[in-house]
Amino acid sequence: MQRKRVNDIKATISEMFDLPKDIVLDLPKIIMVGGNQILVENHKGIIEYTPDRIRINSSIGVIRVLGANMMLKNIGQDDIMVTGTIKAIELLS
Amino acid sequence: MIFIRLWNYFVGYLVIRVKGLSLEKFINLTVSKGIYLWGMDRESYTSLKACISIKGFKKLRKIVRKLHCQIKIVEKRGLPFKTYKYKHRKMLIAGMLVFLVIIYGLSAFIWTVDLEGTEDVKPDLILSKLYESGVKPGAFKGKINTEQIENQLLITTPELSWASLEIRGSRAILRVKEAVEAPDFVKREGPANILAKKDGIIDSMIVLEGEAVVEIGQTVRKGQLLVSGIIEHPDTIGIRYVRAMGRVMARTWYEAQETARLDEVYRVRTGRTIEQKYFGLGKASLPYKKEEMTFKEYDLVSKKEGLVRIDTYYEVELKAWPDNLEEAKKYIEKSTEERLMQEIAKGTKVVDKKLKYDIIEGEQITGVLYLELIEDIGIQEDLTIQ
Repeated sequence: MQRKRVNDIKATISEMFDLPKDIVLDLPKIIMVGGNQILVENHKGIIEYTPDRIRINSSIGVIRVLGANMMLKNIGQDDIMVTGTIKAIELLS
Repeated sequence: MIFIRLWNYFVGYLVIRVKGLSLEKFINLTVSKGIYLWGMDRESYTSLKACISIKGFKKLRKIVRKLHCQIKIVEKRGLPFKTYKYKHRKMLIAGMLVFLVIIYGLSAFIWTVDLEGTEDVKPDLILSKLYESGVKPGAFKGKINTEQIENQLLITTPELSWASLEIRGSRAILRVKEAVEAPDFVKREGPANILAKKDGIIDSMIVLEGEAVVEIGQTVRKGQLLVSGIIEHPDTIGIRYVRAMGRVMARTWYEAQETARLDEVYRVRTGRTIEQKYFGLGKASLPYKKEEMTFKEYDLVSKKEGLVRIDTYYEVELKAWPDNLEEAKKYIEKSTEERLMQEIAKGTKVVDKKLKYDIIEGEQITGVLYLELIEDIGIQEDLTIQ
């Protein structure tokens, strides 16, 4: 309950001052370039990685990427870049 | 990102294969330790290929122990591994060093000397003086005191009014400005007449002192009195003697004659050339561009640029004049004009140019060039008064 209230305040403040929400609220930022590249910032680790299915953990739940011949181009502490043929992105919260 | 990649290339990185059951765990653990992974490819359920920096690889040991997975190095990439190959080839490194030393050593010498700004003074004259003072191809740069050489050059060559010696890399550039010759002092004492030094027709006159004796349009002979220094005017009392001064411009004519024998042959360049380039000094020069000589008759022009010598062979055809009368005429025009231009003072206006040819069929052609000019024909001559 307490947590939710703090988050609500944070959301209002970030709205008011036009601050990026992904930083203020620790939300994942998913950038997709065409059909063959996805960059996920602010992730919380990888749950599953196979060439046709990748599941990435985040603060709002699991991000599931379905595709074919997918590779992890970069993996850093904050960002993951996936390349390959991407067919679907699902948010499972 | 590209900087990280580049950095990794310079530092060197590894391609590893991880085998085990919980590979996602392996990824999460390495990432959470701050080890950067890239180019990851899942080969099968139990194996994974990824790139990792050398530093990161060393930190992997703990994770491996925890997760019981196997890690193998598949490939070593990057600059350090490439250079490692050459570690035992000492002569190669020695050669590189020798090369650097030679380049550095050779850059301490002057290789070319350039001269800029000469107009009337012959460049060879200045260059030979410069060579004497120590600035020449092959001279050591450290010994050259540019300021001193500039000063010395200016003292020894009165034709120059300014000189600047700059050493840029292995090139010495001398920029000069030629001195304008001081005009002769005009003699201002004693009465004098102005006489004609040439035949001509007076075109215009500006008389500053004295009394004009001739009129515009009048034909004058050489030695004729133009402006008199003796003024005898009914309004003035007695005779006044002055130093006549002024400019008397007149139309004058020059002619030059040239004969070309039509039964002789002459050389014409066909336009085809062969170039041969040599590198080195004197006899120790090596050709580095050589074409086969196929010309029977040729003119050879040799040019030197530092250590490079370029020989250019111009193919020449022998032709008789009758083949080309126009060529003969052109030749006559050129040679006569060149000769006349030497006689004429610089800056004189050429008003008219005429050429007359006289041809004896098959034997010779004679051409006469007439030039009509407008020039100052006046010359002062001192008067002696009885």
